[in-house]
Amino acid sequence: MEVERETIMHLADLSNFSVSNTECESLKQDLGEILNYISQLDEIDVSDVEPTYQVFEMENVWRDDEILPQEATREELLALTKEQKDNQIKVPKVL
Amino acid sequence: MKYYPTIGIECHVQLCTKTKLFSEVDNDARGKEPNSCVSPVDYALPGMLPRLNKEAVRFCILAGKAMNCEINEFSRFDRKHYFYPDSPKGYQITQFYQPIIGPGYVELPSGIKVRINHAHLEGDAGKLTHFDTYSLVDLNRVDTPLIEIVSEPDIHSSKDAHDYCKELWRLMCYAGVTYGDLYNGNMRFDVNVSIAPEGSAELGTRAEVKNLNSFRSVERAVEYEISRQSKILDKGGRVIQETLGWNDATGVTTGQRSKEEAKDYRYMPEPDLPPIHLSFEFIKTEAAKLPLMPKDYREKFGGTIKEDILEILLDYPPLMLKLEQLEQSLLGHASARPVCLRQFASQGASVTGEPRSSSIVTSGRSQKALLLVANLFASVLLAEEKSAEYLNDLPTAAQLNDLAEMNEKKELSSTATKEVFLKMFDPQMKGKDAKTIAKELGVIQENDLGALEAIVDTVLAKPETQKAQEDFRNGEEKVIGFLVGQVMKESHGKANPSAVQEILRKKLSN
Repeated sequence: MEVERETIMHLADLSNFSVSNTECESLKQDLGEILNYISQLDEIDVSDVEPTYQVFEMENVWRDDEILPQEATREELLALTKEQKDNQIKVPKVL
Repeated sequence: MKYYPTIGIECHVQLCTKTKLFSEVDNDARGKEPNSCVSPVDYALPGMLPRLNKEAVRFCILAGKAMNCEINEFSRFDRKHYFYPDSPKGYQITQFYQPIIGPGYVELPSGIKVRINHAHLEGDAGKLTHFDTYSLVDLNRVDTPLIEIVSEPDIHSSKDAHDYCKELWRLMCYAGVTYGDLYNGNMRFDVNVSIAPEGSAELGTRAEVKNLNSFRSVERAVEYEISRQSKILDKGGRVIQETLGWNDATGVTTGQRSKEEAKDYRYMPEPDLPPIHLSFEFIKTEAAKLPLMPKDYREKFGGTIKEDILEILLDYPPLMLKLEQLEQSLLGHASARPVCLRQFASQGASVTGEPRSSSIVTSGRSQKALLLVANLFASVLLAEEKSAEYLNDLPTAAQLNDLAEMNEKKELSSTATKEVFLKMFDPQMKGKDAKTIAKELGVIQENDLGALEAIVDTVLAKPETQKAQEDFRNGEEKVIGFLVGQVMKESHGKANPSAVQEILRKKLSN
C-alpha cells in the first residue's frame, strides 16, 4: 500500500516529531508494509459484529471519592521534569 | 438585508467532587500552590492507570436529570489526541462515541426550550501561564472532572444565548454538581454563531467563539458576531468557518492561533478504562436525589413571591434553600439546619425526601412570613457589600420565622425588622433569636394600648403641643403628623405609629 509523503509529514506534525527526508523515505516503506499486512483483515466481513473495545469484559471499575495520600511528593514529581521554576514546569514558549 | 441568527452552545462545567476524575488527589485547588494537587497519574508517568471516580458518574446522573436528559445505560471513554504542554498524557480522556448523558432540554424562564444533544464526561487540562520567552505549567487542574454540555442550534438571539447559559448555571448549581464560580472558570462557554437571510431554509457558515466565562460576554460576543457576519454578507462576502477568541476589554472577536493545522484528534477507545454500565435501579435511585430545581421553586413560591424578586433570588441557591427550610418549619416539618452551597445537593435531598413535594403554601401566616423574608433577602441582604460572605452563613429558619412573627405582630416596625435582620449576620449577635436582638437594639414597638395612652397623655399635656391640638380641632388634618412625631419621640421610637395615631384621633375628637 502506497503511503504518501504528506501523510508521513502530517503524522509527524501531529506527534510533534521532526522527520528528515531519509527517515521519511524509510517510514513510507515501513508503514506501507504494515498497512499491507493489517489490510488482510479487510477480507473478513464484520458488518454484523459489535466492535470489541476491550477484551476483559469488565465494567464499572470505579472508586469512592476519597482523597488518599500520594506516594510521590510535589518535589519528587517536579524533579522528573526537564526544567522547573516557582514550583511550575518550565517549557519553551507556546502560543 | 435582514438575517436570522442560529446559535448552538457548548458548555464545560467543572464538577465539585472531592477528588479528580481519575486519581485520588484533591480536586479543589482554590488558593493552593501550583502543582500541589497532582498525582503521578496526572503526570502520565509510565505505568500509571486512571481510576474512575464514582461520584463523578453520580453527578452526571444529577446534571443530566436537571436538564431533562436521558441517562445512557452504556457509556465509555475515548482518547482525544493532541500535543500541548497543558496535557502530559498527550491526549484527553473524553467520551466521543458513547457519552453518559443523552438528549434532553433546558427550558428558559421565557418558556423557550433549548434541546440538549448530549453531554459527556471528560478530564480538564492543566493551566499555562505565558511569559516572554517561556511558559509555566501548573497541573493542578489536570483531570478535574468536566461535563461538556452540547446544545442543539435552537437559540436565535443574543438574549436567549445569555438566558440559556444562565439557566444552565442555575441548573448545575441547584443540582449541586459544581461550585458555579464563573470568575474562576468553573463554567466556560463555546458559542457557535451563524446567520442566514431571513426565510432561508439553509443555515449559514458558522464561526465558533471559544472560552467565554460570563453570561454577559456570551451575549456581547453573539451580538458582535451577528453584526460582523451581517456586514460580510451585505458586502457579498463569505463567512469563513473558524475559531475565534473574545476580548472582553475591546468587545471584539479575533481569529485565534491555529493550535493544529488540521484538527485530527485520532479518537480511539480508552483501553485503560472499562465501560460504564448503569442499571435502571441505580439511575433511578441517584436521580431521586436531585434537589428542588428552579422550576420547582417557581411553582412553589410563584404565587407568594413576586416574579421579578423570585428570579433575582433564584440566582442564589442558598437563599432558595433557606426559603424552602423556612416553609418546612412554618408547616411544622423537620427543623432546618444551616447548610452551605457545597452541601446543597445532599441537604436538599434530605429536606425534601422522596417523592419531592411541591406543596403550595396555603396558610396566610406562612405566605406573609415567606414574602417578608424573600423581600429582606432581595432588598436588604443582597444590597450589602458583604452579601457573598453572608450567603454562606445565613440565619436559621427558626430565627427568620421569629423575626417574621414579630413583624407581623407589629412588635417591629419595617425599619426595625431590617435592622434586626442585618444584626443576625453580626458575629457578636450570631445565633441569638430575633427577640433577644430586638431587645438589645431597643427597637421593640410599644403596642400595649394602656402604656401608649399614658405616653399620649403626657405629650398632650405639654405646652408646646397645645397649638397643634387646637389647629387639629379646627380641621387642620396634617398636624396629626406632628403630634404622632412628638409621641414617637417621647417613646424613644418604640411606639407603633398607627396605634398612636388612632389613640390621638380618639382623644382629640372628645
